Amino acid sequence: MPQQLRVVGQHVGKEAPLALTNKPYVKLEQITKSYGAHTVLRDVNLSVHSGGVLAIIGPSGSGKSTLLRCINYIEPPNKGIVTVGDVTIEGETPVSRRDLRALRSKLGMVFQSFNLFPHLTVLRNITLAQERVLGRTSAEAELIAMQLLTRVGLADKAAQYPSRCSGGQQQRIAIARALALDPKVMLFDEPTSALDPELGLEVLSVMRELATSGMTMIVVTHEMSFAENVSDHVAIMADGCILEYGPSREVIRNPQSARARQFLRAVNER
Amino acid sequence: MNALLQGATWDDFTSWLPDLWSGFVLSIEVTIASLAVGLPLGLALALGVQTKAMLLRGICLAVVEIGRGAPALVLLQFIYFGLPSAGLPLTSFVSATIALGWSTGAYTSEIIRAGLDSVPGGHKEAVSALGLSRMDGLRYVILPQGLRVAVPALLGFSILVFQASSLCFTIALPELISRAYEIGTNTFFYFPALATAGLFYVAICMPASFLVSYVEHRAGAYAVR
Ligand SMILES: Nc1ncnc2c1ncn2[C@@H]1O[C@H](COP(=O)(O)OP(=O)(O)OP(=O)(O)O)[C@@H](O)[C@H]1O
Ligand SMILES: [Mg+2]
Repeated sequence: MPQQLRVVGQHVGKEAPLALTNKPYVKLEQITKSYGAHTVLRDVNLSVHSGGVLAIIGPSGSGKSTLLRCINYIEPPNKGIVTVGDVTIEGETPVSRRDLRALRSKLGMVFQSFNLFPHLTVLRNITLAQERVLGRTSAEAELIAMQLLTRVGLADKAAQYPSRCSGGQQQRIAIARALALDPKVMLFDEPTSALDPELGLEVLSVMRELATSGMTMIVVTHEMSFAENVSDHVAIMADGCILEYGPSREVIRNPQSARARQFLRAVNER
Repeated sequence: MNALLQGATWDDFTSWLPDLWSGFVLSIEVTIASLAVGLPLGLALALGVQTKAMLLRGICLAVVEIGRGAPALVLLQFIYFGLPSAGLPLTSFVSATIALGWSTGAYTSEIIRAGLDSVPGGHKEAVSALGLSRMDGLRYVILPQGLRVAVPALLGFSILVFQASSLCFTIALPELISRAYEIGTNTFFYFPALATAGLFYVAICMPASFLVSYVEHRAGAYAVR
């Protein structure tokens, strides 16, 4: 599949030159995952360039979440190769702790259910991993946390507990928590599905800002306007396979397969 | 009432108090020692039965099954009378601490495991996604939440351990019941002496039960929050 190069807004960090070559930053090759006899992902291939935003859409149960979790090895695939930047992990060989750390240090993840730690304040949610994983001092970590909270519009919530925040606020805090670790790629698993439409909008606007700033993103979503207008590529999944893949507008406006057309029609009628 | 008192006078009661008090203190001491051994053991066992290392897991499972399967009285007898014949003589206090600590560890491991299991799976995923080590995940995320859930049940179990310390009467530990029984033997006021000892148990267990329901209430409020 030919990759489209975006020229604007992809010079991110020191690995930016990658975007100018034809080498993708995230590359999934022949990812296969089964639970017992149930095969959830079959030979999935996908790639994302540095600064690229890929939306993954598809019907429930098609394996979107599983695919995302295979990228950071929360769910190790049975087979296939995951490459993120200079880290390559092969599914059939045992993974070293070092590789796993290197892989995860490049990936931030945002969950549908936020998964903030309810016994810690908002600030501590964001500083904990900075201190324990990156070894930052608490002063450094707090400074960065406050900058990020300001960026997502929630500086006044620093001392609160997550349960005192609305769902939309919690999700923005979760985004700040992931960003605090300087990820190269952000993975989003239906970040707005648990939210009322209005609250979803405030999360989407943070994500749009993130995309514009050049962050590489892989977003599982049901928000078609995000897929069409913010992401540059879209993949449609069904039954553990990539049904269609290509530049957003083309895929969404002119799907090739009958199955993809059926899915998009169902989404549009909702 | 008089029939129950068997003619014991107020002076009789007051003359027993020093002995009963020292027995009571010893009961508390053996309870605290058992909990100090048993609760950390319970935590270790809760983690141990979930580990992937087969040998460690097998050992932990055996410790839990024996500790839960054997009545505390049998453990007590086994350790106090059985181990010396295997060349390991122990004082009654140490035997009691090991036996009750073992029993406590076995039972509380289940309580603690249930608490840890109550932490949503998503939090464990978030721990992994953030790159936190397993140890850090436990220490900062899973244990603080899981133990908070377990606290009311653990407090409740601690009351049971205090009551079970009366079993040490069978291994000649001069705790509260032994003292009461001794008074009975000397004065034949068995019932009044045991009843007075009972009041000491009540004096601890009733407020402790109230504390447990208060903490339970608080924990419930926390879960809702
Ligand atoms: N831990 C698991 N054990 C067994 N089966 C699982 C597990 N996780 C997911 N599955 C199965 O894998 C399939 C794909 O699940 P997945 O969550 O990836 O789908 P999805 O595309 O994200 O769906 P949704 O839009 O509902 O979130 C489903 O059939 C699901 O039942
Ligand atoms: Mg999903």
